[in-house]
Amino acid sequence: MNHRSAPIEVRESVAFENGYVRDALGRLSGYPSVQESVVLSTCNRVEVVAAVADVQTACQDMKVFLDEQRAERGAFILDGHLYTYRGAEAVRHLFRVAASLDSMVVGEPQILGQLKEFYDVARQAGTVGTLLHRLFHRSFFVAKRVRTETGIASRAVSVSSVALDLAKRIFDSFDNKTVMLIGAGKMGDLMARQLQRNGVKSLMVTNRTFERAVTLAERMHGSPILFEDFPRYLKMADLVIGCTGSPEILIDAEAVERVLRERKQQAMFFIDIGDRRNFDSAINDIDNAYLYNIDDLKDVAEENLQERSNEAEKAEEIILQEVERFGRWVSSLDRVPTIAALRARFDEIRRLELARSLSGNLKDLSSEQRQALDAMTAAMINKMLHVPISHLKKEPSDDDDEETLYLAALTKLFGLEGK
Amino acid sequence: MDINLLLKATATLYFLATASFVFHVLVRNTASRLPTMVLLAGFVLHTAALSVHFLQEGYPAVTQFYEAITFKSWLIVALYLVIQIKYRLTVLGAIVAPVVTLMTLAAFAFDAGSGELPPGLKTYWLPVHVTLAFLGNAVFALAFAVSLIYLLQERGLKHKKMSALLKRIPSLEALDRLNYMLLVWGFPLMTLGILTGSLWAGVYWGDYWTWDPRQISSGIAWLFYGVLLHGRITAGLRGKKAAILTMFGFCVVLGYFLWGETLFPSRHGGRFE
Repeated sequence: MNHRSAPIEVRESVAFENGYVRDALGRLSGYPSVQESVVLSTCNRVEVVAAVADVQTACQDMKVFLDEQRAERGAFILDGHLYTYRGAEAVRHLFRVAASLDSMVVGEPQILGQLKEFYDVARQAGTVGTLLHRLFHRSFFVAKRVRTETGIASRAVSVSSVALDLAKRIFDSFDNKTVMLIGAGKMGDLMARQLQRNGVKSLMVTNRTFERAVTLAERMHGSPILFEDFPRYLKMADLVIGCTGSPEILIDAEAVERVLRERKQQAMFFIDIGDRRNFDSAINDIDNAYLYNIDDLKDVAEENLQERSNEAEKAEEIILQEVERFGRWVSSLDRVPTIAALRARFDEIRRLELARSLSGNLKDLSSEQRQALDAMTAAMINKMLHVPISHLKKEPSDDDDEETLYLAALTKLFGLEGK
Repeated sequence: MDINLLLKATATLYFLATASFVFHVLVRNTASRLPTMVLLAGFVLHTAALSVHFLQEGYPAVTQFYEAITFKSWLIVALYLVIQIKYRLTVLGAIVAPVVTLMTLAAFAFDAGSGELPPGLKTYWLPVHVTLAFLGNAVFALAFAVSLIYLLQERGLKHKKMSALLKRIPSLEALDRLNYMLLVWGFPLMTLGILTGSLWAGVYWGDYWTWDPRQISSGIAWLFYGVLLHGRITAGLRGKKAAILTMFGFCVVLGYFLWGETLFPSRHGGRFE
């Protein structure tokens, strides 16, 4: 189930806490129908990915498994909230999850990391086999491909990352820039920290109550400034974040013009990130000064989100290609037993005929001669099978039908069924 | 080797580079290296063509109008490639490539064949003076393009527009710095171009400053760029205003190059007695 199929209460009622996942995997592998399994449980989804022998029984078993989990918590009925995918559809679903197409915020990057974590837990618990190993690694690869080939994650959708993107379009580097944070609002705090993570070293903090500025500055390794003094320090600031929470214009256009003259027109970026305006909107009309308020930032974020869903269409195409490729790999697994059966069949004939001859016409042969004969016939079989087997082992080509035809032909021609 | 054939191949490659720039930068918006590589291939052929001319004639291909255009486009591509290595400014290529394509094509339209060189031009002054002057022009041509990109980015920021292209363009700070660097390099080159020209005139005509229209127009452009440079260094002239002025300065240079000869006959061009 995910954020679309089930409301949060229902999701929570079956969610697996981190320490509990191993346990759940253990219980899952207790069902004889489940051969391999990975449990994925985040705040937006609870999913069980399993490789099973018989889909019908496995589905029932898994429902029972989830119901048991639910029974321990609350009384929500899971029916109607669950979805089940099989075969190629299941592969596609996992790829979409990994590529963050199934996320609440499409393109958000956390899901891939979470997926890797849950895969690791399952691997350590020993519930991952050949199939899921390949499937998950493939899904990580697909996620990476989607990320690099589409713009799905390249656009910021949170207010502070939009502001950061804008700052990057104004400033070349942040390590020689100074930030002034006015006010103690949560968004301003967040914004200043994000800038620090991106290289800003120098930070001034001011607040109407100086003590508050001091504590804030201490926490963020900045320097506190008296509120009355901040206009004097303004000329040192390249980025000014306003977040006081009170509706008062602290910096007007004339002040900015004056400050810009003092700093020889070096660009300034004003981020009015609080709910109430602290900066005069006319600042944006001044050359070399750029002003974005919270609504501007939200608009850009909204636009980017829209753009992300356009990119998602490209991503869906990539995923379809990859699902097909994975399908080819799975069908190539069918060949392994065929190859083994083919070898076994030939060897059986060889041994049978050899034994018959050695006890018949050739019974006078010395033990060296017998050995030589054995080696010769074995080599003969190997040589004869070399071309067909290496053909079968080849990476599956695009022409799937041809491959299937060969397999069917071999099975029929050499009577390999039931081997 | 046939110079015309080489130039035709060059123009073709430049055209392909333009198409590739348009496709990769504007349509697909990726940071592909392909367009720059195609442009580089064209540049190699272009270099070959100019070298062949130099070896055959003994002087650089700068005496005819069309030759001057090809030579300038060669310098512009060379400078672009240098900037591209240092700044990865693929968007600049999207402006440079179509311009040099047109320039190499225009050269064919004006193809008058290189006649016999007047004796006054058969000196070492010619390559030195012309190369310096043209190099200065090429630097300002690129400054023009960089300013254009600056204005694009600036406008996007002011109008609160976001696009993948704008995100890929360098920051205002980087563009402004590059613009300044180009001015710092272009101005001395232009100064040397004018000085060598003036000295040459002094040696051959006995008069350093003849109020030749070319001298006057270069003098105006030189003054303009000088004031701009001075403003940038001392008065904090930067950003949008500096970009607009840089573009305006180049328009003066370009305007004279295109129409000056016809409006104000000068000793540059054909009438060199």
